[in-house]
Amino acid sequence: MNILDRISSIDRRIIFLLVALAVIIPLLIPLGLPVDVSKPVRDVYDMVDSLPERAIVVVSCDYDPGSEAELTPATVAILEHCFRKNLRVYLMGLWPPGPELGNLALEAVAPKYERVYGVDYINIGYRPGGPVMLVSLGRDVADLVRADYAGVPIDSFPLGRAVKSARDIDLVVTLSAGDPGVLHWIIYFSARYGTRIAAATTAIMAPQQYPYLSSGQLVGLLGGLKGAAEYETLVETTGRATAGMDSQSIVHLLLVIFIIMGNIILLYEKRRR
Amino acid sequence: MSRRVVMTATMWLLTTRRIWLSFFMLLIFLVLANQVELKAYDTPNDDGSSITLNWPEDTLYNNYTIFRAVDPEGEFEKVGEIADRTSYVDTNVAGGQDYYYQIEAHGADVAQSSGVVGPVRAVSHIFNTSRINIAVCIIVLFAAIIYYIRRARRGEALYIRKIPGITAMEEAIGRATEMGKPVLYVPGIMDIDEPETIASMSILGRVAEKTAEYGTPLYVPTSKAMVMSMAQQVVKEAAIRVGRPDWFNIDNVRYLTDDQFGYVSAVDGIMVREKPATNFYLGKFYAESLILAETGFSTGAIQIAGTALPDQLPFFVAACDYTLIGEELYAASAYLSQEPVQLGSLKGQDVGKLIFVIVVILGVLDRIIGFDVMYNLFSTAQQ
Amino acid sequence: MKQTLPLIIVFAFGFFVIIAFFIPLGAFQSASQTFETWYTGVLAFFVFIGIFNIVKVNANKIQRRLSDWQYSIILLLFLILMMGAGFIGGPEGGLFNYLFEHMQIPLGATMFSLLAFFVASAAFRAFRARTPEATLLLIAAVIVMIGRVPIGYYIWRGFPGVVEWIMNVPNTAAKRGILFGADLGLISMALRVLLGIERSYMGRGGE
Repeated sequence: MNILDRISSIDRRIIFLLVALAVIIPLLIPLGLPVDVSKPVRDVYDMVDSLPERAIVVVSCDYDPGSEAELTPATVAILEHCFRKNLRVYLMGLWPPGPELGNLALEAVAPKYERVYGVDYINIGYRPGGPVMLVSLGRDVADLVRADYAGVPIDSFPLGRAVKSARDIDLVVTLSAGDPGVLHWIIYFSARYGTRIAAATTAIMAPQQYPYLSSGQLVGLLGGLKGAAEYETLVETTGRATAGMDSQSIVHLLLVIFIIMGNIILLYEKRRR
Repeated sequence: MSRRVVMTATMWLLTTRRIWLSFFMLLIFLVLANQVELKAYDTPNDDGSSITLNWPEDTLYNNYTIFRAVDPEGEFEKVGEIADRTSYVDTNVAGGQDYYYQIEAHGADVAQSSGVVGPVRAVSHIFNTSRINIAVCIIVLFAAIIYYIRRARRGEALYIRKIPGITAMEEAIGRATEMGKPVLYVPGIMDIDEPETIASMSILGRVAEKTAEYGTPLYVPTSKAMVMSMAQQVVKEAAIRVGRPDWFNIDNVRYLTDDQFGYVSAVDGIMVREKPATNFYLGKFYAESLILAETGFSTGAIQIAGTALPDQLPFFVAACDYTLIGEELYAASAYLSQEPVQLGSLKGQDVGKLIFVIVVILGVLDRIIGFDVMYNLFSTAQQ
Repeated sequence: MKQTLPLIIVFAFGFFVIIAFFIPLGAFQSASQTFETWYTGVLAFFVFIGIFNIVKVNANKIQRRLSDWQYSIILLLFLILMMGAGFIGGPEGGLFNYLFEHMQIPLGATMFSLLAFFVASAAFRAFRARTPEATLLLIAAVIVMIGRVPIGYYIWRGFPGVVEWIMNVPNTAAKRGILFGADLGLISMALRVLLGIERSYMGRGGE
């Protein structure tokens, strides 16, 4: 049996093993490759950076544990930037587990800057109803949001009282893994109330957002773990995203090698025929 | 001599008067220039619940306090405060009441008031004029579709191109029957308010008819309880229609979990244990598309997928035998039915598409030349 | 009547919501909002139907000792455990949170990370230059894959720029084309549903 025949009929599990090694080894032995910053990520950074002190940023965690690995680093990096700039964070989620995951990020970042719950940041929890809810939220926050995620009346917090409608919100950052998510924020919130929207999405969803970037409906975009790593570079922290970049580099390289091999086999089979 | 004195004195006076005059003029100019120029008007296209204020941007100021009165001579009360923005929408207004507004601008060490503007009153509008363009598009498209439906009703034969993915459906069900294995139908992970899910339910009706006819088991695992209820109804009615009510097993159409990856692992489990010969993935999918399709591939099933989300199309194209792209998913049920009226709607949709393509080309030319007629026509005003 | 009533409801409510989109009058807006709230209300009720279905199907499986019935026991046990933890301690309760953080999050992430492996096997099998178009797709894919990660930047500084161009120009153009077609198809389907021409989603066939 020829070596090319053998590769052609390779067991899927060998491919899986090679991918696993390509992920694990660079995590154990980091290469420290430099991270370049793309324009959509810089645009988000510049937008957050240009907000005045005490401005209100809605951070909407529209993802679940499945995308946690990809989107939590982005959440942490954005929160890091907001708290450093002394912006107020209004955290929520269109997916049930989102605010829980957001809370973990808040607990990790807020104490570093001595930010106080209810004054500098608040978590209003999961908001069901997707598009319908977003429309009502923009119109009248007080009517929709009565309590924070733990059930404490929203009026008992200064930040809870400060947000009455979409007009009090300076920027929305959606960490989006699907529906409801970034598209709904654009259609049902930004288009209606004119609020600026920035997004961090899973890498799979990122290409889909480019039409909204070029039309200006999105301020900027953090695509996948790479986007989060770029943001970490901009806010000068090294989090989980930057640590994952070496693995991602090697896996992408491996995929290209697989594709090239697949095509060599194709050429070989064609010639044999 | 005396004449000279008089002339000099007059000259001096004139000059000083000029200086004073210039000084006063400058003062007036400065005051005017610094006065905040406020505009107040009824918010367009709303239900009469607000009044919009705006004023020009000035780098001197960054905080504004808004005052309102019902009588220009009366007392002004504070209605709001705003920072770093040059517009304010007062939503706390009564319809039919006249209001007068004034704002106070504050800077680092300056403060300035605007003049009083008014009267303004909030009026309820009957038609949202900023959405006329959308209305026109909908009417054009609806008209095109209805026109072709009528032509089809009159018995005219309409040519619709063959869609390979749809024609392969029957063959795929036949294969499962020959192999004595079940058919798996995955209607996506979203709820019934998603159009893709509705389209999927329509196709499910046709697939269920065929499987019931052949007596092949059909599994429909769902990720939403409402989709389950609907799918049960669709499959049951299909079985009755083809005269096989005994074939319908309600437990084959079941709810698994709302959790995205929980659902994927459960469906993967069904594929690995039951080894269905044919897998349909029609509806709205996200990251699970490739996980499902690769698992299906590894079990050797014929796979037909369809979704409108461009993100997931590459995965389905790579791992499935046939993929319905975007509009083909919506057209599938009409196409499968082969009813003239349904086919007419597809024809009308294509004509609508042609009109839109022409509009896009005109819009691009319009933008390049710089007329901006089309651009202004289609830019929706943001409220 | 059983046939026509649902069709009348679809027609009336569907067209009402479309018309309300263009009419800012308060009554129209609040009515259309109320209809949308009804939907949310109905949705909440379906949670119970879902749970009921899970219990019924799996209890049946255990009772009749159908194949792999043991898995159903595990499923029902965890359903009760998770619900019980939520009822007793609330969503912020210790056990519920523990189960969420230490079971649901890692399990979800495990399924998601399968993608990395499946992308590799799918790429190996499907990304082949069979036609000129496929070759073009292949080249673009390789450039984007390399240019998207730091190693691409390390190899050649110009990579990210090329990637941004591919994403911004050909990618956006193609996506817009597909979205346009899909959305027109969607409107056409919506009209078929509203006019009652398409009714197979209700379990009704054409007559």
